[in-house]
Amino acid sequence: MDTFNALMHGFSVAIEPSKLLFALVGVFLGTAVGVLPGIGPALTVALLLPVTFKLDPAGSLIMFAGIYYGGMYGGSTTAILINAPGESASLATALEGSKMAKAGRGGPALATSAIGSFVAGTIATLGLAFLAPWLVEVAVKFGPWDYFALMILAFVTVSATFGDSPLRGITSLAIGVTLGLIGIDRLTGQARLTFGVPELLDGVEVTTLAVGLFAVGEALYVASKRFRDPEEIVPIKGSLWMTKEDWKRSWAPWLRGTAFGFPIGALPAGGAEVPTFLSYSTEKKLCKYPDEFGKGAIEGVAGPEAANNASAAGTLVPLLTLGLPTSATAAIMLAGFQQYGLNPGPLLFAERPDLVWGLIASLFIANTMLVIINLPLIGLWVRLLAIPQPWLYAGILVFAAMGTLAVKASVVELSMLFVFGFLGFLMRRYDYPVAPMVVGLILGPMAEAQLRRALQISLGDPMILLENPGSAILLGLAFIGLVAPFVMSGLNRFKASED
Amino acid sequence: MASTSSAKGADIPALVVAALLLIAAALVAYDAKSQTIVSTYGVGPTAMPYVVSAVLGVLGLCHLVVAFREGLPKPEAVDSTAVLWLTGGLIGLIACIGLGGGFIIATAIVFSATARSFGRQALAVDFGIGLVLGLAIFLMFSKLLQLTLPSGPLEKLF
Amino acid sequence: MLKSILSRGAVTALALAGLTTAAFAQLELKIMAPAAPGGGWDGTARSMQQALTASGIAKSVQVNNVNGAGGTIGLAQFVNGAKGDGSQLMVNGFVMVGAILLNKSPVNLSQVTPIARLTAEAQVIVVPADSPIKTAKDLADRVKADPAKVTWAGGSAGGVDHIMAALFAGAVGGDATKINYIPFSGGGEALAALLGGRVTAGISGYGEFEGQIKAGKLRVVGVSSGARLPNAPDAPTLKEGGVNLEVLNWRSVVAPPGITAEQRKVLADAMEKMAKSKEWAEILKARGWDDAYLGGAEFEAFLKAEDARVGKVLRDVGLVK
Repeated sequence: MDTFNALMHGFSVAIEPSKLLFALVGVFLGTAVGVLPGIGPALTVALLLPVTFKLDPAGSLIMFAGIYYGGMYGGSTTAILINAPGESASLATALEGSKMAKAGRGGPALATSAIGSFVAGTIATLGLAFLAPWLVEVAVKFGPWDYFALMILAFVTVSATFGDSPLRGITSLAIGVTLGLIGIDRLTGQARLTFGVPELLDGVEVTTLAVGLFAVGEALYVASKRFRDPEEIVPIKGSLWMTKEDWKRSWAPWLRGTAFGFPIGALPAGGAEVPTFLSYSTEKKLCKYPDEFGKGAIEGVAGPEAANNASAAGTLVPLLTLGLPTSATAAIMLAGFQQYGLNPGPLLFAERPDLVWGLIASLFIANTMLVIINLPLIGLWVRLLAIPQPWLYAGILVFAAMGTLAVKASVVELSMLFVFGFLGFLMRRYDYPVAPMVVGLILGPMAEAQLRRALQISLGDPMILLENPGSAILLGLAFIGLVAPFVMSGLNRFKASED
Repeated sequence: MASTSSAKGADIPALVVAALLLIAAALVAYDAKSQTIVSTYGVGPTAMPYVVSAVLGVLGLCHLVVAFREGLPKPEAVDSTAVLWLTGGLIGLIACIGLGGGFIIATAIVFSATARSFGRQALAVDFGIGLVLGLAIFLMFSKLLQLTLPSGPLEKLF
Repeated sequence: MLKSILSRGAVTALALAGLTTAAFAQLELKIMAPAAPGGGWDGTARSMQQALTASGIAKSVQVNNVNGAGGTIGLAQFVNGAKGDGSQLMVNGFVMVGAILLNKSPVNLSQVTPIARLTAEAQVIVVPADSPIKTAKDLADRVKADPAKVTWAGGSAGGVDHIMAALFAGAVGGDATKINYIPFSGGGEALAALLGGRVTAGISGYGEFEGQIKAGKLRVVGVSSGARLPNAPDAPTLKEGGVNLEVLNWRSVVAPPGITAEQRKVLADAMEKMAKSKEWAEILKARGWDDAYLGGAEFEAFLKAEDARVGKVLRDVGLVK
């Protein structure tokens, strides 16, 4: 009841017309900057934070919440429209979203992403308001062994989405893991596979690989078969808005995505990538139209987008209750909070309940505002796809280069973008799936670091992975996920031969 | 193409992939072997590379088998002019940034070459559009967001 | 990473104000932050920009970021590209000393012209509140008895936290080559490992753990400064606990190689003036940095000494051969 009253009080502050205006401006600015390729939510928040400082604390908090949600949504917009995910968390969205956009279903894709973000954001913010103190107790108990087991589970689940050839899927994944080895080893500071090139010491940027494989690779591929099999981009086909069917197919993925995103996002090293991958694989498994996956299935946008947003709200759990910034965005938010006189940490809820609940209420309002201002914009975004094809792809390549240069202005980085683009082109020609490669680059180094931390704590004893209930259960699930398909197909064959 | 001569049976693309994977496996293993620093506790920085190297090796061998069996899917023919224009545009972009030509000219190069690759026959016009686009992006980044993009002669004017 | 970003709006505002008051200043400077926008060095560079223009010491100051590999990529570019240019400066610090050795950087700090040390932050060693370890001596005894069983959580390998763990082991007579140091990415993860009781002790800048210490979830074993911190008078220093160890995470500013003596004097004077300005004092206060100004020959000697100390530690723990 206490929580409820506090929240209501927060709303009473945040609902004033002037505050609503700040929320509106925040969402607008956040979307506008976040939509630029290469500028993910973290950088968006960082760049726009100073704007908020000129307001009073309540006003700046609510504007900040707007920027945050706007930045997140802007990132997904780029992923869907031009297949250039601005950050690893919107990678899964790009997979189906960009296919939908090309097939004239960009409108529903952006809509399901906006509404899914709203649904997930709202549920997860409720979770933040009511479950945070309890959830955080569980979250800090997660040890390196548990994270390792979680990564393994993610690996196994993702491998279900490899497409028709397991060999080509695993090859793509293995190349991604190999790329993940490049750079300074996190646990010993040693350079691996850098061949004396200092620019490689920091490793391969996920966004460079993703934009290279997806956007550049696709441009080369489409250009290469321009005469034989010209690609047709249909800006709008059917309804610009979600149909009844779209709603029916979206609501369950939204909820499942939230269920993945919020708890994993609340883990100090959970991140947004693992839940989006888990959501994508789950939706592919559960979808009634599995054939549509790879051609633009709405579930593949709805689920990961919800997971992404829910995990973002999840990262606020350790941030507000412990002062733990667990993502780049959260780290910048922490700095922002401090500027507003909020010192996240164990004492925050007790010391400054007005500001905390004001912030949580702001999150609700910003989330609502996001849907209100972005749904009408969808028509405008989709119209971008009506640009003549030569200019459209020329623009995509310019934005890809810009995104890469904004992250790191170096010739080596651009050359990598080019090499990955060419690789993506060849892989498309020979029907290798490109997504597992990015997944390998993201999950590989995370899994390695956590395993090695676990073994360092146990002084080299691998049994630590099975002795802890959390990791044992997760590894068990992964094992079942790995063998179940074989057992099932074996059983089916057995049945078939019986008949 | 070799893939059609089923008498010999070897699929060239699959052989190339197999060779590349085996080379990669060797490189990873060599790099791990030349590491001098190991961890005091747990597993060191070389354990994962050896595992990866082994996996790459196995995948390479699998591709070798595939090469003599069904081979890789046969791709359709390539419009090589288009690919060359696009590749040229990207190389032009890298060269322009590398040689200090700046972001705006680099943008114009990649924009016009890509448009040409997709069939437009108005290189000069597209170069102009690219210049304007590059200028707009540059100004937005440097003036509004205070982020620096690579500078060349044109950028210095602002 | 964060603080700097916040200052950005303020920077712009102050830069404008600076233009009016600084009509007499002729100095035009370029400061390189060898880190991404938002990093600690970036924060230092942009704070300098703010203080230099606001106080009228310089007419204009430009900050550019070259990130990568612990600052060594920026260093290489600075040494090779800015040679003999008396209008350029680069921010660096303790972390770069280690990064140069770890990354086998082809350029090093002996190639730049030292100007001044500007700020310093004390480090702190903490344990979870329910840990049986109460004092620096308790921890020292454990490290001496079995270094493997004492797991340390901190930042990146070879960084200031890691080096301090090794120095601690050495200072108490333990085996620095045997420390069980676990690097985490970012303060958040290390903090979670501590709160979850996964590790024995944690090392970081004081600010990073402050909230948890005040809330009673973490206990301070010792701070690494010579005297107790003004904002944490209850936290004992390591020296009080009988461990003779002082580590400061300092940040400094250097000029390119090959500049003339006059050029060097102009830059050094500007830095000294800045460090003593009230604008700089305000920035330090707002950001919680300690003034650690050290100029001229003393700083040059300090830099050499730190280089030698860090080099020895990294060899001791086996990160550099």
